[in-house]
Amino acid sequence: MIQSSLRGVRECVNAIHPGSETCSRLPGRLHVHARLRDARKFGRGAVRGRVFALYQHASFATMTPQSPLSDGPDHAALIKAIADQRDRAAFIELFNHFAPRIKAWMLRAGASSAAAEEMAQEAMLSVWRRAASFDPSRAGATTWIFTIARNLRIDAIRRERHPSLLLGDPVDEIEQPEQADRALDVAEREARIRSALGHLPVEQATVVHMAFFEDKTHADIEKELGIPLGTIKSRLRLALNRLRSILGDLP
Amino acid sequence: MINHHPSDASLLAYANGGMSVALALVVATHLAQCAPCQRTLATLEAVGGVLLDALPAAGPAAGVRVPNFSGFGVADAFVEPALPAGAVDPDGLAPGALQQVLARLDDPLPPFPSVLYPTLPAPLNRVPMGRWWPIARGVRWKPLHVGGVAWGGLVLAQPGRALPRHGHSGLELTCVLSGAFSDGGLSYAVGDLAEPDGDHDDPPAVMGAEPCLCILASEGMHLRGVLGLAQRMIGL
Repeated sequence: MIQSSLRGVRECVNAIHPGSETCSRLPGRLHVHARLRDARKFGRGAVRGRVFALYQHASFATMTPQSPLSDGPDHAALIKAIADQRDRAAFIELFNHFAPRIKAWMLRAGASSAAAEEMAQEAMLSVWRRAASFDPSRAGATTWIFTIARNLRIDAIRRERHPSLLLGDPVDEIEQPEQADRALDVAEREARIRSALGHLPVEQATVVHMAFFEDKTHADIEKELGIPLGTIKSRLRLALNRLRSILGDLP
Repeated sequence: MINHHPSDASLLAYANGGMSVALALVVATHLAQCAPCQRTLATLEAVGGVLLDALPAAGPAAGVRVPNFSGFGVADAFVEPALPAGAVDPDGLAPGALQQVLARLDDPLPPFPSVLYPTLPAPLNRVPMGRWWPIARGVRWKPLHVGGVAWGGLVLAQPGRALPRHGHSGLELTCVLSGAFSDGGLSYAVGDLAEPDGDHDDPPAVMGAEPCLCILASEGMHLRGVLGLAQRMIGL
């Protein structure tokens, strides 16, 4: 079972990055072998979580700044084209890239297929409507779209009748922190985060992924990975502290 | 000076949208006043953006099938199930999704909720709420009218008063809007966010001579004593 799951990871990675030597370069590959040995002890969930982290990990490890997966300037330019010229072709390009991903995220987070579909469509509609409030000096394009979808997710129940309260009124934004004290510009920050995620130890990456995209409470993760709650909390804290220190804003 | 912040787990739940709206409004109230938490949130959101971008898209257009972990064994997880010709991938976007959205692009914008309570900080000033209810001596409660599994509201307690005795069966977040209160030997002032770890030994009590106004949201609170009996009798 373990052998076949690792083979699965390789197939997946190769499918994303054909011809790449990813598998031999997977960070912590041997580590994961060792981890998977715990599988008998902790059950299938543990293996699933770890294999998924490895899979995600592999896709970060192979990302380069030129990678088509990276948040290049193109998405920001598309949003700007929508803001300035109501450019439908730009919108279609953004839609094709992000709508299926938002739906995949919502499904993974436990939404029904219909709700995930609606959330993806509503999020993209908000991208069109709010394009003028996109400020590339505050967040990258992908991060901006992520927060729009996130706010819709929090406000899912109210969405029927009201626009999201958490999105803020375009003319009455919640006051933002001083931008000038940020040592790094947004693109640099996000490039660093991308690279940091690829270099997190796999056990930290697992917890971050599960907490982020599978809407798991700490107790669920505890059950699934078979590791104590304290360990999960400390791994999450370590991962976040690492990200913070890489970005140079340790509290 | 803000001394008490949400835990990493709570900020993460806010960042990825896994938090109910009532709790999220408490966190948003704190965030609006707290630059360090805004920075942490910005980092978490950037992580979310990177993860979202790297997420295999749902649907046949994506090229790579999403490894679907729900209900599959590990060995099956990466095996592409052969879809019969013409079948609609259940995980993909609905057929015509793009056309539906394109058709709505020029719809008039729904009006943004207007300011209902100009004295409250954003985003609370636009949230519909009920009337004030007395819940204990010198303590009043004004419920938020929002959906979600958590409930929340404003608590206004007079000097020297305390909340009814209670325990928790989930996350409870409180952010101070004016005045101050003490809980478990710690004091909370304006902007501070209280996230109690377990049950209170003694209920939170107002500090100082000023009444204390807080926004509180909870996933589960059970009252103790006579109020607890009443709570169980009416099935809350």
